[in-house]
Amino acid sequence: MALLEVKDLQVSFDTAAGRILALNGVSFSLERGEVLALLGESGSGKSVTASAIMDLVPNPPGEINQGSIRFDGVELLQLSRNERRDLCGDRIALIFQDALAALNPVYSVGWQIAEMFRIHGRTPEGGVEKAVFDLLTAIGIPDPESRARQYPHEFSGGMRQRIMIAMAVALEPDVIIADEPTTALDVTIQAQVVDLLETIRKRSDAGMIFITHDLGVVAELADRVAVMYAGRVVETASVFELFEDARHPYSVGLLASQPRMDTDEDELVPIPGSAPNPVALPSGCAFRTRCPRAEGLCAEVVPSLEAVGPGRQAACHFPVSPL
Amino acid sequence: MIEPLLKVQNLARHFGSASAPVRAVDDVSFEIANGETLGLVGESGCGKTSLVRTLLKLGPATSGSALLDGVDITTASGRRLHELRRKMQVVFQDPYQSLNPRMRVDRLISEPWALHPGVLPKSNWREETVKLLESVGLRAEHADRYPSEFSGGQRQRLGIARALALNPTLLVCDEPVSALDVSVQAQVINLLAGLRRERNLAMLFVAHDLAVVRHVSDRVMVMYLGKIIETGPKQSIFSAAAHPYTQALMSAVPTPDPRRRGQYKRIVLQGDLPSPANPPSGCRFRTRCWKATSICEEQEPALTARTEAPGLLTACHHADPESPTRSLAREPEPMSTMAR
Repeated sequence: MALLEVKDLQVSFDTAAGRILALNGVSFSLERGEVLALLGESGSGKSVTASAIMDLVPNPPGEINQGSIRFDGVELLQLSRNERRDLCGDRIALIFQDALAALNPVYSVGWQIAEMFRIHGRTPEGGVEKAVFDLLTAIGIPDPESRARQYPHEFSGGMRQRIMIAMAVALEPDVIIADEPTTALDVTIQAQVVDLLETIRKRSDAGMIFITHDLGVVAELADRVAVMYAGRVVETASVFELFEDARHPYSVGLLASQPRMDTDEDELVPIPGSAPNPVALPSGCAFRTRCPRAEGLCAEVVPSLEAVGPGRQAACHFPVSPL
Repeated sequence: MIEPLLKVQNLARHFGSASAPVRAVDDVSFEIANGETLGLVGESGCGKTSLVRTLLKLGPATSGSALLDGVDITTASGRRLHELRRKMQVVFQDPYQSLNPRMRVDRLISEPWALHPGVLPKSNWREETVKLLESVGLRAEHADRYPSEFSGGQRQRLGIARALALNPTLLVCDEPVSALDVSVQAQVINLLAGLRRERNLAMLFVAHDLAVVRHVSDRVMVMYLGKIIETGPKQSIFSAAAHPYTQALMSAVPTPDPRRRGQYKRIVLQGDLPSPANPPSGCRFRTRCWKATSICEEQEPALTARTEAPGLLTACHHADPESPTRSLAREPEPMSTMAR
């Protein structure tokens, strides 16, 4: 049984322009110790997926219409608000993209890390204070005793992101959801943060959902990848399969449009057009208007996520053939 | 010898009090030839944007000069400045903030002609607007719409069309694709590359994404805390960079190839960028550098030509093209738990 299994999740938002299906049948699973990358561009539904798992979809205007989220055999969508809250932070933790916005500016950093222990009624061995110092040391912040008394604005962006990580892993969760944790950081700082996250995660063998649009980070970090487009998962594969032998035309296009550090390419091959307006998605396959392989069928029938090989799936009527 | 299109000499831009200034740009010199693309890389706070703003005269230079076609931008004013601005145009990072939401596209694009009368008679504006729209991959009917009706990538195309209206010789692109999704980013990069070929445009291309810079540039310049620490032809920078910071910067970029995972030794720099108000003595990078010795503290290294790579200039006392990422024998000492 998978540690976390999301099935056919549908989330909608009511907006002035009409009802938007932010997620339209998202399915994936996560095993213990595994890193699953949710890869997609802005508006593809990556962050909404994280919010749905963490019970953070604002209602109204948002609503989970259908689907299931099973964690360790328990259906999360049938739990009460309080039961969900007990799980979140304790066994499933979220690292936000924007640490400055996620941290409370008027409480000291030490207080905010300690809050994790207080809220979940856990007193670590040696006391909360020692645990906070240990966490700060583990994330490479020198002089933890005095740093713990400081406020978020007194830390650099990279340090704040590491503090977010410390808070997320304080209770040794089974699942870590990292929502673009390095997007706002410079590349040398990004390297620090990614390495730290991996070191800490491996220690507790937690499963991780890593949300990103950066193919480089995916290649370095992920075991498996779920590619999202317009509120759906369009391909799932191991990281090797995806980079060498992608089946969905969108995945193929994404890989071809990325300039590379290690080679000189003559010309990039972009995907034509831009992401569809979520209020008026194309009929059938949402990618068809930008797809070089689209045919009549694509406008009529929404392709479902189906097996295209052992352990991998694609949602396409005309997947790119294997090598 | 042919004069370069842009010749920047000892340019500085300081902020704050004269006694303890923030040296955002400090003694920077470089050139851009006609039709050449110079990539400028560096992390946030290194002075990229301050340099660009000074070159565009959106802020005054503290000292130094920047000659465009022989005319000093830093001292120009009035008509001379107006004339200079015709020759250099800018594409901004954020296509949502750089276009006036109340102006229709035809007005947005023809505004430069209104500001520079004599360039194009009004009777030709419409025709020329359509031509420009088509040259950036948009259509004639887009002229009658407002910016809000366009996607991010399309807006960036509008920004480019507007920048090209006066037929500039130098196009300054300040992070022109960093706000765009990967699939759309490639469209805009290809567009810029094509326009550059067709119009023999020189470009100063500022970006933090090294892969993008590698793709578009002829030469590359690396900044750290207001200084140029290494510069040279693209091939030299990407294959023989001798400055530890350039090496660290490149090794930190994740390679989009899972098979190569773990094959590269990544240099993980310690700490953060020091404050530019109080930069380290001597070499500004020394506080994060694994090669730093006492000389780095005492003496500021000057940009010096490297013999092993043509055109490469490096400002480092311990410059060495043998990056630890390439020779696994010598390992730097990154943060203890961070080695991959």
